[in-house]
Amino acid sequence: MTTIGIAAVLFTLLVVLLAGGLWIAMAMAAVAWLGLQFFTTSPPEVNLFQSFWGSSASWTLAALPLFVWMGEILFRTRLSDEMFEGLSPWLGWLPGRLMHVNVFGCGIFAAVSGSSAATCATIGKVALPELKKRGYDERMCLGALCGAGTLGLLIPPSIIMIVYAVAAEVSILKMFLAGVFPGVLLIALFSGFIVAWALLNPSKTPQYADRLSLREKLRKARNLIPCLVLIAFVMGVMFTGYATATEAAAFGVLGALGIAWWSGSLGWESFRVSLMGATRLSCMILFILAGASFLSSCMAFTGIPRELATWVGSLNASPLALIAILAVIYLLLGMAIDGISMIVLTTSIVLPMVEAAGFDLIWFGIFIVILVEIAQITPPVGFNLFVLQTMSGRDANFVALASLPFFFLMLLAIGVVVAFPQIALWLPDALLGATRK
Amino acid sequence: MRRFLDRLYAASGALAAVCLALIAVVMLLQAGMRELGFLLRGADDIVAWLCAASAFLALGYTFRHGELVRVGLLIERLPAGARRPTELATLALALLIVGYILYAAARFVYESWQFEEVAQGLIQIPIWIPQMGFVAGALVFFLTVLDELVVLARGGRPAYQAAEDARRSRKDFTETV
Repeated sequence: MTTIGIAAVLFTLLVVLLAGGLWIAMAMAAVAWLGLQFFTTSPPEVNLFQSFWGSSASWTLAALPLFVWMGEILFRTRLSDEMFEGLSPWLGWLPGRLMHVNVFGCGIFAAVSGSSAATCATIGKVALPELKKRGYDERMCLGALCGAGTLGLLIPPSIIMIVYAVAAEVSILKMFLAGVFPGVLLIALFSGFIVAWALLNPSKTPQYADRLSLREKLRKARNLIPCLVLIAFVMGVMFTGYATATEAAAFGVLGALGIAWWSGSLGWESFRVSLMGATRLSCMILFILAGASFLSSCMAFTGIPRELATWVGSLNASPLALIAILAVIYLLLGMAIDGISMIVLTTSIVLPMVEAAGFDLIWFGIFIVILVEIAQITPPVGFNLFVLQTMSGRDANFVALASLPFFFLMLLAIGVVVAFPQIALWLPDALLGATRK
Repeated sequence: MRRFLDRLYAASGALAAVCLALIAVVMLLQAGMRELGFLLRGADDIVAWLCAASAFLALGYTFRHGELVRVGLLIERLPAGARRPTELATLALALLIVGYILYAAARFVYESWQFEEVAQGLIQIPIWIPQMGFVAGALVFFLTVLDELVVLARGGRPAYQAAEDARRSRKDFTETV
């Protein structure tokens, strides 16, 4: 059978198994076994052991469970109330007023949390009722939360970036750094859109009721201090090269426990719940990574990625066309499957292609992370939509329509990052030197 | 039997959680000792092994909580009559795959025990000791899937489905990234 024929068989099998509801990591393992057993001479059980053990017993990957745990601890503190109290006095002057709390709150929480659904839920559980009480437009508020919640994936630390960095064998630190300015870009786009909307619909923004003196404002801003200190500390030790990502994550856990203790929400029960939650979530991710690593070893032995990369190269399509096609494929994938699976299922095939077309893998990581962000807000499977649906009691259509403008803003952000790759690459190059990959 | 199995899953999950917490402890110890001018030798190896142990030991426990991801898009829309046989077939296939993972792990670790392979790194202990976490985790995972298959075949509702439904009715979607 030709390599492309083998690829077709394996791909069909994978789709059937996934659609049948088989757990994703197991489906990948089954396809890898079949590929190795029938189309190569390499013994599958040896490959299985080496990929499963090699991908899990990894010092670099240990950053992942720790960042997951840090997020789980902070999710259970009073941080969201404090964020709302601290931020709201400062945003009253902007057109759209407190609507911006959604965006900036998510942006700040994203810098301590690596997850989109958690960011969305944390800020949403305070901002949604508070804004509704004050008479803000619910549709806009839901849209802003839905869109800005996805910043959890782009602003470091980010679970999805660790997954990509491991799958693509690039530096976690560089991925984190590359996410900073695209994250700022998205915040600017979201906030800019809210300003424009507020100017066009002045009747929909209620009057600012609680005007405060500067002293009052500063007193309220104190609420933000623990969170900002934690961000500055974790990012600081990581980006100055004092500590590795894994060490920084351990400091982050310590800091998060400190914040929880300080705000009085650290008890044995909440400690246990956060630790068990982190254990389950990171087990889920590491199991997928193990399955994916087994599947990539199968791919390497069959030579499918190389063949496909050559084939794509022979089409003589412009790199831009390749990126456009990949964007469409990821948008479609993102409607059906979750972000982590989206990345690990495709990297072993897509990365050789992308590299052959001359793209930087760090830049491509940012590109793919923004597409995963979009996947969080596209129905039928979009986790931010689920979160907000249940929080607001609105139906799926209402929330999806509310986030539609933010979907387009994210597409725009992808366009900007494609046109100006330096937005992603400048910071890691400036801080860590321009050695590629 | 039921009580024994439930305790086994809980113990395995708890052990995984302890491993996760120990990663943080070892990392902090290493950083602290470096500040004082000491080198914690082999800390990197220990962290890697803890990471693996945490991931593998938690598999059965996480599976029962319905938190290993799958694509539910199609099967959740199947009519109730078709849903059960599909679920049974999926679980049977899952049992086969996890059984194979267990076989691969046990065989490889048995060999490294037989040939007395030593870890490459600063800590020169027999490599089968940390690798036993993989075997133990895969074994518990295998028992979990078998357990769920038996429950479903007898007409009961598997724990992972119950857990997922409970999360939905609690409106909790935070167990995703």
